[in-house]
Amino acid sequence: MRTKWKRLLVVLAVSGLAVACTGESESGGPVDLSGKRVGAMTDYSAGTRFTATEPVEFSLLYSDHPNYAIKDDWLLWKEITARTNVTLKPTVVPMSDYEQKRSLVVGAGDAPLIIAKTYPNQEDAYVASGTILPVSDHLDLMPHLKSKIEQWKLQPELNTLRQDDGKFYLLPGVHEEVWQDYTLAFRTDELTRLGLTTPKTWDEVRTVLRAIKAAHPDTYPLSDRFEGKSILATASQAFGTTAGWNYDNAQWDEETQKFEYTGASDEYRQLVEFLRGLVAEGLMDPESFTQKDEPAISKFATGRSYAISSNAQNITRDYRPALANIPGATVAKIPVPAGPAGDVLATTRLENGLMISAKALESENFVALMQFVDWLWYSDEGAEFAKWGVEGTTYTKDSTGKRVLDPQITFNGINPGAPQHLQEDFGFQGGVFAYGGSTELLRSMFTEEELAFQESISGKEVVALPPPHPFSDEEREQATLWETPLKDFTQQSTLQFVLGDREMSSWDAYTAELDAKGAGQYVELLNGAHQRYRQKNG
Amino acid sequence: MVTAGPLPPKPAVTRPTRVRDTRGRRIFRVVNTIVLLGVVAVTLYPFVNVVAQSFSDEQAIREGRVNLVPRGFNLDTYEIIAADPVFWNSYLNTVVYTVTATLISMVLTTTYAYVLSKRHLKGRNLLVGVAVFTMFFNGGLIPNYVLVSELGMKNTIWAVVLPNAISVFNLLVMKAFFESLPKELEEAASIDGLNTYGVLLRIVLPLSRAVIATMVLFYAVANWNSWFSAFLYFDRADLFPVTVYLRNMISGATTAASVGSSAGDEAQVSSNIKSVTMVLTVLPIIGVYPFVQRYFLSGVMLGAVKQ
Repeated sequence: MRTKWKRLLVVLAVSGLAVACTGESESGGPVDLSGKRVGAMTDYSAGTRFTATEPVEFSLLYSDHPNYAIKDDWLLWKEITARTNVTLKPTVVPMSDYEQKRSLVVGAGDAPLIIAKTYPNQEDAYVASGTILPVSDHLDLMPHLKSKIEQWKLQPELNTLRQDDGKFYLLPGVHEEVWQDYTLAFRTDELTRLGLTTPKTWDEVRTVLRAIKAAHPDTYPLSDRFEGKSILATASQAFGTTAGWNYDNAQWDEETQKFEYTGASDEYRQLVEFLRGLVAEGLMDPESFTQKDEPAISKFATGRSYAISSNAQNITRDYRPALANIPGATVAKIPVPAGPAGDVLATTRLENGLMISAKALESENFVALMQFVDWLWYSDEGAEFAKWGVEGTTYTKDSTGKRVLDPQITFNGINPGAPQHLQEDFGFQGGVFAYGGSTELLRSMFTEEELAFQESISGKEVVALPPPHPFSDEEREQATLWETPLKDFTQQSTLQFVLGDREMSSWDAYTAELDAKGAGQYVELLNGAHQRYRQKNG
Repeated sequence: MVTAGPLPPKPAVTRPTRVRDTRGRRIFRVVNTIVLLGVVAVTLYPFVNVVAQSFSDEQAIREGRVNLVPRGFNLDTYEIIAADPVFWNSYLNTVVYTVTATLISMVLTTTYAYVLSKRHLKGRNLLVGVAVFTMFFNGGLIPNYVLVSELGMKNTIWAVVLPNAISVFNLLVMKAFFESLPKELEEAASIDGLNTYGVLLRIVLPLSRAVIATMVLFYAVANWNSWFSAFLYFDRADLFPVTVYLRNMISGATTAASVGSSAGDEAQVSSNIKSVTMVLTVLPIIGVYPFVQRYFLSGVMLGAVKQ
């Protein structure tokens, strides 16, 4: 039995490869769309709702969130069909291993037409196989997306998605404005008690931590969660580099007009020295970089620490309830602190988005598919629908345009205790459909507190994006060989420096080790790719 | 999660010795006991902690006050999970998959092993080689996926119960066991008129209860814990076994979190819900062990053959 299986397997593997190869899309020239317009609207334009002229069905790779497990009877599905005549057929994948299954189905040539929840640059790995549609060839079918690109001036961001052939393969989620959710949260009652003001720069953060340390010598004032990746990411922006969650092996040097290796840059060194100082002075718990979230929260909840990284949801879901046993304890996010690089934010307006399977182009419903995607993910109506649901059922709108959730429905602190949940029982505000969008819509569900936080960062200067540097297939293969070991080594050494396990005097030895691991060659490759892009695109 | 270590059936009874232990042996016994108790503590603590958390108040867990004893004892979380149809549906799936897969595996493994244990079989080495080959080489993820899809097994129970139905390790253990059975018993049975199938069913299998019980346990535990093939081959949530449900709940947290992305979509399931799900998931397997243990009888064949 096993032999038969294996033989069959070999045959199928070979034929599978053959299928994958024939899927390669031909490049150049406008794509002939005749015969692919079944169900599509002829008068579809920005501001129009997409309704298929006949019932159509599209498959969708769906990331199933443990907090709101997928249900077939969600109003979301019914209303999508009611409005657009489209029935979505989700392939349900547990969120925990979504990326693995995505690679598998794309690699096996079995991908659904719409592949959701893909972050910028995650599409790179699939480009060479030809299984993903170069969506930039078909933007004409997507009037809402086009108008957003124009209105919000998204072209520089989109350029960062371009591959070596000048096309991009991801339909990203797009924000009207840069925004940031993560920063530090402080025990504000303690700040008031000690007569401290909210810190506005990282130097002030250190000063405040010192004052707390003076009042509580036996504690670490800052004991962080997210394995330190959040504070690294937040602080790195103000230091003019990238680290933690945001870490990128290369960063753009405006002066020399060249890429340099991030982990060896002066800015990165400054950031490392700053954090090293916090740890050395006993202001930051050395366990911040290794402990799980739970112990970090429990330290914060029991008065053993006074600061911790946070997003808006962490405040309401983790810290406030956990602090219930300390009378008078209050907690709030501080505005993202400024640093040596100024009062800046260095995040992108791109968000996770969609890939379209190359097989879609063979479908007679191709045009309808693109129009549908354009309406649901990029039109104002689609975005509002995915986030708030159906007007009159899940929410109401008053004369000023302010939306109010139905009192029977709860979400994220709105209508606590209501019997139904906007995500769990209706499917709206789900991560696959609702993200990005206009600032007005994004803020429409924020609490007063979060609105104030967003106001506090809206005056920040936004750092220009690094220029595009698309790799050719061979270059990418080579780069991938370098990237992971370099990143691992950098992060490991960062930790050693920050925790004091390694002396700063060995920094030069560390950069030499980076070069030995190919950092120099990697940066050279990147600069070469960037030069080529400049020559091609002016 | 429960995993079974190899538990080879005991061949013979160890008789209690009347001889006084030497000093060295007594020291060894004390040290041995201490070390083993240490191992027990280390392995048991996380589990007891999870059980304690499952009965605790969420606030107490957040403050890190729950260790071995539940704080703020309550059954609310159990009620929440018990009322969750998705959980019970997954649970039922797991039971169905485990029973079917174990049954199929046992039939295939037993018959294959019995055939291989016969030295006079022509091409026996080839058959062994075929099986052993798969221990070292396999088709890889994508070819396997393509194969299962092309055979039309995706989204059916067969996708999880048929591939890897024979564990080569188990096969070799069984083969060795069958080889160790006295040939004379089978010869006697065939002289009394039993054909090959009769010998297998009425003589060999009843004598092999110990190894069969062991194999059932191995297969059942492996199938109960397995999530990967279900994750690969099922596209619908109502087909998922409880392990996929549990895994999504436990490791979904903060993996995709990145600054500037939809932070509101971060997965956070409260600790007591996680722990209740874990307890309910491992419970049947823990419950099965003591019952299987009584089949680990030895000495069934003592005196069956006179030489």
